[in-house]
Amino acid sequence: MKIKAQISMVMNLDKCLGCHTCSIPCKQVWTNRQGAEYMWLNNVETKPGIGYPKKWENQEIHKGGWLGNDKDLRLRSGGRLKKFAGIFHNPDLPRIDDYYEPWTYDYELLVSSPAGQRQPTARPKSSITGRHIEIDWGPNWEDDLAGANETALDDVNFSGLEKEVYLKFKDVFMFYLPRICEHCLNPACVASCPSGALYKRDEDGIVLVDQERCRGWRYCVSGCPYKKVYFNWAKGRSEKCVFCYPRIESGLPTLCAHSCVGRIRYIGVILYDADKIKPAASTSNDQEVYKAHLEIMLNPHDADVVFEARAQGIPETFLIAAQKSPVYKLAVEWGLAFPPHPEFRTLPMVWYVPPLSPLIAGWEGSETDIAKSDFMRIPFKYLANLLSAGEETPIRFALKRLMALRKWMRSLRVDHKPNYQTLDEAGITGPMADEMYRILAIAKHDDRFVIPTTKRADSENMYNDRGTLGFPTKS
Amino acid sequence: MGSLFQKLAFQVFPYIALTVFVVGHGYRYYADFYQWNSRSSELIDRDSLKVGITMFHWGIIFTFFGHFFGLLTPQDFLNKLGITSEIHEFVALYTGMLFGTMAFVGLLILLKRRLLKPRVHAASSTNDVIVLILLVFVVFVGTYNSYVKRFDVLYTIAPWIRGIVTLTPDQSLMNPVPWSYKIHILLALTLLGFSPFTRLVHIWSIPVTYFLRPYISFRRRFVDIP
Repeated sequence: MKIKAQISMVMNLDKCLGCHTCSIPCKQVWTNRQGAEYMWLNNVETKPGIGYPKKWENQEIHKGGWLGNDKDLRLRSGGRLKKFAGIFHNPDLPRIDDYYEPWTYDYELLVSSPAGQRQPTARPKSSITGRHIEIDWGPNWEDDLAGANETALDDVNFSGLEKEVYLKFKDVFMFYLPRICEHCLNPACVASCPSGALYKRDEDGIVLVDQERCRGWRYCVSGCPYKKVYFNWAKGRSEKCVFCYPRIESGLPTLCAHSCVGRIRYIGVILYDADKIKPAASTSNDQEVYKAHLEIMLNPHDADVVFEARAQGIPETFLIAAQKSPVYKLAVEWGLAFPPHPEFRTLPMVWYVPPLSPLIAGWEGSETDIAKSDFMRIPFKYLANLLSAGEETPIRFALKRLMALRKWMRSLRVDHKPNYQTLDEAGITGPMADEMYRILAIAKHDDRFVIPTTKRADSENMYNDRGTLGFPTKS
Repeated sequence: MGSLFQKLAFQVFPYIALTVFVVGHGYRYYADFYQWNSRSSELIDRDSLKVGITMFHWGIIFTFFGHFFGLLTPQDFLNKLGITSEIHEFVALYTGMLFGTMAFVGLLILLKRRLLKPRVHAASSTNDVIVLILLVFVVFVGTYNSYVKRFDVLYTIAPWIRGIVTLTPDQSLMNPVPWSYKIHILLALTLLGFSPFTRLVHIWSIPVTYFLRPYISFRRRFVDIP
């Protein structure tokens, strides 16, 4: 058993209101520079839709992530030799138009235009060429399903569903999907980098690009199945989400999490067994990767795990944080959160609580039928395709628990007659219901974020480390 | 006057170029490590890149190894192996024609792309354009030589280059060499001296270590967590 600690996140999609507040501080702090205009290390997508960059989930096109056959694990885009020989031109690299051509406006014309018959206009112009452009795609083009009746036909999460039906106005559904780097346990970007510039931090698992070692070979961009490594076109290097590590090291949540209006984000420590990563990721059956992923996460309350973790030098603060981790509760103890597209086999560590949705109009059955019938506006199959490789059982289980919690609280607060039956049916105990309510509904700052601080003993040498820690030293 | 020029060009200049080449790379590596990369423009214009870049790189790589082994290996040694100067010249000329043409056509495609594709042009520095034009000239003159001039280099240019490398330069060996060959050599030396200050430094970063390292790398910092 090789125990490592991972700072990880859960986002409760049930509460995401799609306001994009998370994206703004992230943009302002990390990617407000030439060459990085098009990068949204945090972005919010509306589902169904093809997202940013276009069709990022479709690995037939983008060739990201891994393939596993129980014995072996290989990069979908090809191994070392293929990458080495084809290094001059990476056929799987997204085009900038798949993200969007970054633009700004001729704002100055609004004040510098001479007086005339018409209002002056600020025409859009490309941030790359400076020329005027027609805008036909953007970072959030499908917001609130705009145009999704056409674009979302290519959404891979409709697999096994009649997508045409769900894109008709009468039956349409939607929810938001905020996305950051997954800081995977088995990151394909790290494996794809010929220079070895990408790495996982040993102490907290944050994945960074060493800006001084990056030679611009671009394989990380195509290797990441979530398309969360970006290529700076002006500087010729890759950049990615740094999980706001300067804040994390000080015990503060990331900017996206801290600014979240809906309080949907949780940050905590997960202890995992690094020896089991390869067997888990190589699981050949797509639908079993999620289970294997759960199994490599260690129970921080288990005495053996604690003993072993101490022996292997896991700091006491990390152990305590792991025991209080809201992420562990949501993902492992309660089974409410799921990894996005576990079938990519990178073992992502930013998980999602699936959203509840209104019951379908005219549905007459009982909600206890959740194991069998489809009675919510968002098809279970769609959520399962997104969060558990199409396996609906765990998704239905999680949604049942979320519904049970609501009914329970309604019985307490509105009916004043505690409905124990609803808790029993969902396998929730009384104390567990209290804690779920506290963490999911009240969601106080200190319950959402349990982050151990990291004292840096080498702080006098920080000047020397500039650049190696994930973001550029000069803009 | 002719011999003074020849001395400067083929006895002094090569050492200046090589010194700048070596010292320049050292300087760049320590002083400007941050800019040490290939400055890829694939993201902003992928489709126009594939043909040109592939032809150029494979052409220039084989051309480089052809020059390296063909010129630095003494013909007397090859004779002992049974590779006569006729065979050597035949192989050198025809592979030179093939790969030189490949590299040249690739370069023309890349130059056209760099100048005419608005996004690529906007993201290019003057340095990028100069180095590309210099490469076009070097490769053009070299390929022209293999097609048209076909001068016997094995007992003239080759021993001169070996003399440069072994610090026993003899510029008189260059006397019978045609001008087009001399221009090729001088341009190539200029390119060599210029290369440390360009994107060409990425050549030295061929990621051979990729074959040696495990897929997932961890880095441990010295941290003191209570």
